[in-house]
Amino acid sequence: MRPIAIFLPVMCTVLLITACGGESDQESAPTGVDAAPDNTQEVLDYYASKPDFFSFKTVADLPDDLVWQDGMELAEIGSPKAKKGGTQYARLQDFPRTLRLVGPDSNGSFRPWILDDTTMQMGHRHPNEFVFYPGLASSWAVSKERKTVYVKLDPAARWSDGVPIKADDYLFLFFFFQSTYIVAPWYNNWYGTQYTNITKYDDHTISISVPEVKPDIDSRVLGLSPVPQHFYKELGDDYVERYQWKYVPTSGPYIVKQEDIRKGRSITLTRNDDWWAKDKKFWRYRYNTDKIHLSVIRDTPKVFESFKRGDIDQFGLNLAEYWYEKLPNEDADVQNGYIHKTVFYNQRPRPTYGLWINTSKPHLDNVDIRVGINYATNWQLVIDKFFRGDYVRMKTGADGFGEFTHPTLEARPFDIGKALEHFSNAGFTERGPNGILINEAGQTLSFTLSTGYEALKDVLTILKEEAAKAGLEYRIEVLDSTASWKKAQEKKHDIQLSAFSVFLEMYPRYWEHSHSDNAFDKAFLEDGSVNPERKLKTQTNNLETIAIRELDEMINRYRASDSKEAMLDLSHRMAELLYNHASFIPGYVQPFYRVGSWRWVRYPDNFNLKHSRSAGQYFVHWIDTEIKEKTLAARDSGQTFPPQINVFDQYRSD
Amino acid sequence: MIRFNPQTVKKLRRFREIKRGYYSFVILVLLLTASLLGELLVNNRALIVSYQGTLFFPTYSAFHPGTDFGLDYSYETNYQNLQTVFERDARGDWLLMPIVPYNPLENDASEEVFRPTPPSIADQHYLGTDTTSRDILARLFYGTRIALFFSLAFMAAVYLIGIATGCAMGYFGGAFDLVFQRLIEIWSNIPFLYMVIIVFSVIPATFSVPTRIAILLIVMVLFSWTSMTYYMRTETYKEKARDYTAAARIIGASDFRIIFRHILPNVIATLVTFMPFTIVSAITAITSLDFLGFGLPPPTPSLGELLKQGTATLRTAPWIVTSAFGTLVILLTLVTFIGEAVREAFDPKKFTIYQ
Repeated sequence: MRPIAIFLPVMCTVLLITACGGESDQESAPTGVDAAPDNTQEVLDYYASKPDFFSFKTVADLPDDLVWQDGMELAEIGSPKAKKGGTQYARLQDFPRTLRLVGPDSNGSFRPWILDDTTMQMGHRHPNEFVFYPGLASSWAVSKERKTVYVKLDPAARWSDGVPIKADDYLFLFFFFQSTYIVAPWYNNWYGTQYTNITKYDDHTISISVPEVKPDIDSRVLGLSPVPQHFYKELGDDYVERYQWKYVPTSGPYIVKQEDIRKGRSITLTRNDDWWAKDKKFWRYRYNTDKIHLSVIRDTPKVFESFKRGDIDQFGLNLAEYWYEKLPNEDADVQNGYIHKTVFYNQRPRPTYGLWINTSKPHLDNVDIRVGINYATNWQLVIDKFFRGDYVRMKTGADGFGEFTHPTLEARPFDIGKALEHFSNAGFTERGPNGILINEAGQTLSFTLSTGYEALKDVLTILKEEAAKAGLEYRIEVLDSTASWKKAQEKKHDIQLSAFSVFLEMYPRYWEHSHSDNAFDKAFLEDGSVNPERKLKTQTNNLETIAIRELDEMINRYRASDSKEAMLDLSHRMAELLYNHASFIPGYVQPFYRVGSWRWVRYPDNFNLKHSRSAGQYFVHWIDTEIKEKTLAARDSGQTFPPQINVFDQYRSD
Repeated sequence: MIRFNPQTVKKLRRFREIKRGYYSFVILVLLLTASLLGELLVNNRALIVSYQGTLFFPTYSAFHPGTDFGLDYSYETNYQNLQTVFERDARGDWLLMPIVPYNPLENDASEEVFRPTPPSIADQHYLGTDTTSRDILARLFYGTRIALFFSLAFMAAVYLIGIATGCAMGYFGGAFDLVFQRLIEIWSNIPFLYMVIIVFSVIPATFSVPTRIAILLIVMVLFSWTSMTYYMRTETYKEKARDYTAAARIIGASDFRIIFRHILPNVIATLVTFMPFTIVSAITAITSLDFLGFGLPPPTPSLGELLKQGTATLRTAPWIVTSAFGTLVILLTLVTFIGEAVREAFDPKKFTIYQ
């Protein structure tokens, strides 16, 4: 015992000394030698080094013939009945690994809460009307040749730390996203190639240009959000560490206070009482709760249990298992009216759930095999029996883009006869002892079917059992989501069950998934023949490694086209070509979302907005604290309310 | 062959006298035998089909396409449907299905949708079905078979390496012992579960399921053999100093002969007492790996996978977790009873004559 007794006081003294040292260091730091870096001059030098990109003019230089729009005629978003106040309790799957908005680890499940759904852009697409309503901009105008958008910024706009948002923050946006400090190559590429100029006329007037004329140029420009220059004064090589846990000032309604970050456990967003847009049209009836408390609960069944207890306000019931089994309409909480169940049919491009066939793999480069696999994959059974007929079969990889979607194409149905026919065209004629087809060389018709979606594991086993009937073997591989994504990005997969989320845009993108630039390094030689030495290009979204010269040429024309008719025609022809290529097996789309919510979570009368992705995306709900108290009391006393199981199908399209 | 010394024979006889352990052992052996013949008990292939006067035995043969029995499809015959067809046509064709007419991978969509259904004797789903309408009894049966044989193979491999290394260390002693002990200390400090998870996550799925199970086995063995060496080493040290070993050496027996003919039979008692517990830990390890999603690749039937499904559907399908948990409890209890009995039977105190 003695040595410890001596050791303890010594340790305490040491701790005390270091603690004191720490304090004094902190005090002296601001005046010390290694004061915080300041990049103001570096930024100016950068602007000067790229005079074509960063221009400075005066208001007198603005063209006279501009037609200014402000979108103020659009309908209000949200309900005037909404009450401010209360706390919303929700779940985070994982604690964010950083508070940075870009750079390594920033693209996690926390990002929507501090970036995607809660920050303001210059203008936003109206979720019912598809045209723009004002955010940080007060009005905008598109130039005659449709390559430049002029924007008048709202002078009232403020960052959450009170600093006004000015034109400089938009210039800085390009410095920031073009710099290599942020370690984010996609941003470097996008902001370096998809924009050609930004001009500052005065503190509240700018214009931004894009390289090619596009029908939806307004979305390219109005969708930009400024970057707070004053906050990133210390931007440098150590960006990733320096800004790891610094909260970025926001133009939006919610802020994160340092004391509300409980690492690994929870994080709370607080509504900014001084939010500059709180009384603006389109914004005033949204973002109603005072606080949003997000706690980390990894396991979905546990989240559901918390929801049933009332610790969490809402729970997504998209999976049939939850909608029909775990929270059936007969459930006591539903029947007593404590929990409301809602189905909302929305309209927007859907995530592309389907099988992505890597055509660079042996056998899969054969179109007959691919067509056969299409016919041997029984998605309809999955939809009917596993998803209980709630979902519908996806038709093409570019569904949901209105007239840009091919009007007649449909995915190939499950058809053993046709599958066998195509497989036999490819030389697979005999069935082996286990019923799987083999060819003359003795190879079996067997491919790895991988996914990173643990929740869809059962879907794969169903597809496997069905494919065996057509003599095709799927070897199932369920990986951790990151590992699976990496595998597909490195093009090591055979067939991948995956989905890309699709932006709410006017027309589908083809370059990302289908251009040879994203399949191989130099796929073709000058004369148009296949480059025999081409190498697979990794880290792109062309998971099918499609390299077709004809398609490349169509995609290039499509990307450069300024005529909607030409683009429509190209889009349909590309969809047909891809259909014949058969390297994507369309899976299913979910034409609605379903949610269970406690009685105190209130929604507008028509529930939500046409193009909404989820019930919470546009923050039109509110928490009624009075009802919450009453409901909790009623649950204890046994008092009941009329059950609420509502279907909102005003936007149902099929 | 190792000839047991009379003392060991006495111990084995004593084991028979401990009823609880002995009967557990008998039950387990019966279970193992039954699981070897599992295809005859739990299978969706018929045992015997009599079609147009010819007898077919599809259980162990290559698959029979539907066309073999006059059906219109070229994939594997659905024998349950065939039975109804035979009964309807009444042409004297008949077939005999196993007691549980399901295979562990088959989604039995007799209902409209895939969902867990409670146990039902009428449907012959004696323990109900899981979330994708697969028969739980079939999955449990084959899952247990895999777990049992996996753990037996695991035990055999671990003991082979552990005994060889441990005996060598104890017998040769000196620098060899010293160096190997240090190596083992370092090796055994690598966290076993993490290593299995890491190694197994990088194995490509292009390998067939049996290969992947074999790899999992190898990885687990690699990180588990060390503890056995300590016991073997000390036991061998002890036996080495005995007179009979010295005598054998004087006669001129080789090291190999001394270790395997003389020392090993005398230390077998120590080994045997550990065996059941090694099996218990192997079953637990593979079940927990499956539960975490790092074990046997889907759709291989496994106890861990069923447990995971069961915990996720506690409210809606309690029969899943009950079956899986019940099986695990029974299995582990049986093995533990055997272990306890072996330990008691081999307890040296029973036979010591020291006063």
